[in-house]
Amino acid sequence: MSMDLIQLFKAYAKTGIKTRFQYHLDSFLLSLAVFVREASSIFGVYFLLLKFDTLNDWNIKEIFFMFSILSATYSLFIMFFMVFRDFPDWIKHGDFDRILLRPRGIFVQMILNGADWVAALSHGCISILMFILSANSVGIRWNAGSIFYYLVTMISGTVIQGAIFVFFSAFNFYFSKNHGIKEFVFWKSRRFATFPVSIYGGVVQNILMFVIPFAFVNYFPAQYLLRKSDMAAYPEYYMYLSPVIAIVGFTLAYVFWRFSLRYYQS
Amino acid sequence: MIEVNNLRKEFKKTIKDPGLKGSIKSLFHPKTETIAAVKDISFEIADGEILGFIGPNGAGKSTVIKMLTGILTPTSGTCTINGKNPTHNRKNYVREIGVVFGQRTQLWWDLPLRETYGVLKEIYEVPDDKFKERMEFLNEVLELEDFITSPVRTLSLGQRMRADIAASLLHSPKVLFLDEPTIGLDVVVKHNIRNAIEYINKKEKTTVILTTHDLADIEMLANRIVMIDKGSNVFDGTISELKSKYGQIRELNFDTSDAKAREKLAYVKQFKTKKEDIIVEQEGNMVKVRFDSSIVPVSEMLSYTLGKIKVNDISVKDADIEEIIARLYKHEVG
Ligand SMILES: Nc1ncnc2c1ncn2[C@@H]1O[C@H](COP(=O)(O)OP(=O)(O)OP(=O)(O)O)[C@@H](O)[C@H]1O
Ligand SMILES: [Mg+2]
Repeated sequence: MSMDLIQLFKAYAKTGIKTRFQYHLDSFLLSLAVFVREASSIFGVYFLLLKFDTLNDWNIKEIFFMFSILSATYSLFIMFFMVFRDFPDWIKHGDFDRILLRPRGIFVQMILNGADWVAALSHGCISILMFILSANSVGIRWNAGSIFYYLVTMISGTVIQGAIFVFFSAFNFYFSKNHGIKEFVFWKSRRFATFPVSIYGGVVQNILMFVIPFAFVNYFPAQYLLRKSDMAAYPEYYMYLSPVIAIVGFTLAYVFWRFSLRYYQS
Repeated sequence: MIEVNNLRKEFKKTIKDPGLKGSIKSLFHPKTETIAAVKDISFEIADGEILGFIGPNGAGKSTVIKMLTGILTPTSGTCTINGKNPTHNRKNYVREIGVVFGQRTQLWWDLPLRETYGVLKEIYEVPDDKFKERMEFLNEVLELEDFITSPVRTLSLGQRMRADIAASLLHSPKVLFLDEPTIGLDVVVKHNIRNAIEYINKKEKTTVILTTHDLADIEMLANRIVMIDKGSNVFDGTISELKSKYGQIRELNFDTSDAKAREKLAYVKQFKTKKEDIIVEQEGNMVKVRFDSSIVPVSEMLSYTLGKIKVNDISVKDADIEEIIARLYKHEVG
């Protein structure tokens, strides 16, 4: 079972990469554009920190480290959940019909089918760059425990973002038109997650913790590794909550999605 | 065997008031309208049969196919293939069917055609030796060789359709659904595709369900016809049954040098029929009169016509299936 999933993954990855390869220049320009956009937001942070030195006790390196978690999980997210991001197009072009006609799990196919390798690569590069710049100078002791925590963080962060998109994409079964709400919500939240959650007012904080839980993608996991003073405002166990939120959030999103499937109008 | 029982599908459409205000309103209080695209249709298909599934545009053919293939969940009613139900057991169900939507492709658009078959091989878990054998067979039937290394987006429509049919047959399905497989193709390619379908049906006992607007497809291939209109079943039977049921239509052809022939022949007045029961067309010297011989007997038609004008050459023939169906679509008979 798992062997032939790997087989299937290889087949899809091969076609995905070959497809991208057909358009060298397009792919190159696209990855460059993504890279520049991300880099410019990093410069934004940099200039801001030049002025303030620290934000709620976080210095520039620490914010870069937190940003690297955001980019890394986003890069993984695009590798596995991109179809849910672009779901209205998938429905419109009949690609989703095709998935329903094939004797494999619907989610398995969607996850394997969708990888946007180019964008994943750009975000991956950014995150590695940020990680190299910061990981050794923010006082983290890299031992088995912290590495394990870091890996769990990667997985939870990816799955949390996946859950958000799976949940929102289920609405496309009811309204075939895309109102752009999910993009708006997601991108705004992701923007906010560039900085420590503690700098925001109560409403934004609550949204980032309990509605679109980006705080558990990067802020609380970074807290575990960095232990900044602003953590005092939150319960200690929040630093261990990310995997729980990932599992619960994804399960809820999945159930809602499967339920909504019966309203699919093709 | 395929059984379709009281199958029904309703679509909800949101109605939007015009303008920005309308679209904001529809976002929060969507006004919906329900339309029944398929209204309680029932029929059966025996193993190895080729069923021609026809009806005018918007009749609901594609919607039925989508329910039979598990893409759409029926509003009510059931369809089963050998007892399997697509909504309850999708994975096992779709393993046994092959599907082609003529208007869309299932091929990987940007890659050489060969790659598509490679991925499908993994999806359907076809073993290597079986795959090789199958590709050789499909190649022979559908002649893929010339373009199997070309990117799909560069294929002509005819090549693409052959490639699509091959893709739907790779896993040796028991049932093949073809929704308009000859749409937009030239006469020669249509002919090839019909031959391929017939060959596969004969050789592998594959059950075929075919929708089309080209009745030559039906005449050449179908053992049986199911015709639907506005979501309801209007005919279910063989072509010869269709002909004997609605086949009273005759066509009178004659050649005349009388340029005013059309005006002189007052058929409707003479026979006191409705206008649409007798249709007269004139093209140069050739006049064509289509009439229903159960309303106007052939002998009366002939004697009236010959008495009115001077004709050189005259003949009467049975209407072909195309005409019968055209009239059925227009609700002129039945
Ligand atoms: N996804 C959908 N949402 C709303 N209405 C739909 C949808 N799909 C089909 N319909 C409606 O259902 C009816 C039947 O459509 P369908 O495509 O099944 O017809 P068809 O017989 O295949 O026609 P054609 O010969 O033109 O392909 C049409 O009135 C169509 O507008
Ligand atoms: Mg159709």
